[in-house]
Amino acid sequence: MRVLGIETSCDETAAAVVADGPTILSSVVSSQVDLHARYGGVVPELAGRAHLELLTPVIAEALERADADGTPPVDAVAATCGPGLVGSLLVGLSHGKALAMAWDVPFVGVNHLEGHLFASLLDHPDLEWPLVVLLVSGGHTVLVLVEGVGRYRLLGQTVDDAAGEAFDKVARFLGLGYPGGPAVDREAVHGDPAAFAFPRAMRDDGYDFSFSGLKTAVVRTVEKTPEAPTADVAASFQEAVIDVLVTKARRAVADTGARGLCLAGGVAANSLLRRRVEAFCGADDVAALVPSLAMCTDNAAMVAAAGQWRLANDGPSPLSLGADPNLFFSFTG
Amino acid sequence: MIVLGIESATDSVGAAVGDGEVLGAAFAVTGRRRHAENLAPAISEVLARSGIGLERVEAIAVDVGPGLFTGLRVGVATAKGLAQGLGIGVLPLTSLEILAAAAFESGWQGTVVPVVDGRRAEVFIGRYARGGEGCAPVELAAPTRHAPEAVVDEVIGVCEEPVLVCGDGALRYRSLLERPGSVVVAGDALGAPDPAVLVRLARARLGAGVPLLGATEVLPVYLRDADARINWVQRAPVGAGG
Repeated sequence: MRVLGIETSCDETAAAVVADGPTILSSVVSSQVDLHARYGGVVPELAGRAHLELLTPVIAEALERADADGTPPVDAVAATCGPGLVGSLLVGLSHGKALAMAWDVPFVGVNHLEGHLFASLLDHPDLEWPLVVLLVSGGHTVLVLVEGVGRYRLLGQTVDDAAGEAFDKVARFLGLGYPGGPAVDREAVHGDPAAFAFPRAMRDDGYDFSFSGLKTAVVRTVEKTPEAPTADVAASFQEAVIDVLVTKARRAVADTGARGLCLAGGVAANSLLRRRVEAFCGADDVAALVPSLAMCTDNAAMVAAAGQWRLANDGPSPLSLGADPNLFFSFTG
Repeated sequence: MIVLGIESATDSVGAAVGDGEVLGAAFAVTGRRRHAENLAPAISEVLARSGIGLERVEAIAVDVGPGLFTGLRVGVATAKGLAQGLGIGVLPLTSLEILAAAAFESGWQGTVVPVVDGRRAEVFIGRYARGGEGCAPVELAAPTRHAPEAVVDEVIGVCEEPVLVCGDGALRYRSLLERPGSVVVAGDALGAPDPAVLVRLARARLGAGVPLLGATEVLPVYLRDADARINWVQRAPVGAGG
């Protein structure tokens, strides 16, 4: 079965064709990063307009690269229906439904968060359950226990800013540019992570996260010591974020008896987070499922893979499916 | 040529399919932000009602605005998807010319000024004269954006009387626009672009030699720059799910 995936939840316009396996036949991502860079963040109306301009050629490219030229070219269409920016989600959702109608194939709406989980599954097909998933992006910071595909238990999540949001805000404050994650990561390489002892809110307490105080602490420190090298501030900030993420993730794996930790989301591209996760998983003798860099950022292969699974387990979505900007995991308990 | 018409530029969502005459039309006046939920089922319904399968549709006609940005994205993305999937072309029509065509179909002989509610205390406006055969409107001025208070001075004042004003903006700002004896505000029947009129106008235009566009080339007529604000908060509410 070949599934066309469509992803337009934020600032990447993406399409991919995935076959059983799941095996990626093609994956095309057109990034809008340059469009939003001058504003220091994603501008929703600009994103929605750009998706509408880019999606048709991106899909054409994905079909061509997969040699999907039959009638119909694929057996199903999957599109992200949430969470994300509503004006962006609507473009991919509407286009996806229309393609499914035109080809007379099933349509399935996909939860973007479940898509990120499938990004790791695409890279690591031989999984053992249960797994703890640490999903960290610009919109989410959440720890989930996955007892099997589709069976999720919420362990904890951020009570204020998402980790990726903290990276973006601190990068903007430090003048490091956009997107903030890679910018801080690059700058931190030259800095001393122990130069400033930034707060680690709630680190040893439960599975919830809080990053808004950390961002405020960075601002206050720079205002008090303007001569502080930016690299030291960036490195110390990054150390504080990653320390909290890794400490909680490690404890979650130990507490639940999980067989491994799966990293997902854009912040999973952070080099320090990847190193630390691989180090503790090695020391604790559990699997470290760290997705390839291409699978960390938003892409449509993960949407097609999640759609393939949802279709097989829950059947197609109705044509009346709407976009849900606040869609979350559906938890079993 | 069988044309499928897609309408979702304002609060009203609808579809129609026709070949010469309109064979099926579905039209739903809805609340805001329900475009994605209503459009695909409306298309499916008109096809079932008319007995025309999508494989027989030869062109997509779509209302490209001006109108609600959410509705335009849903309508244009749906048109692109159908055109791409079926390998056919798209004819873009503006909300204003569809409203004007409906006014001329109803028999109005003077100038028509369609007024579409743009929200944020603004309206989108065009000026049309009656055309020849098929009543296809002739555009007298390109679509523009105005404050409702300025419409009489800036648009209606330069029109040849009598003037018919129609559309959801005309209904909303009726008291600002009406001038007994010279400016008539149309009622609810001309309040929203009608997908059946859209299909008839598309057929008139195609018959007059207006070319179809490829799916990639069709884009909304926004008439307003993007609001360059950053939306930092896009996360699920704490405790959501279940």
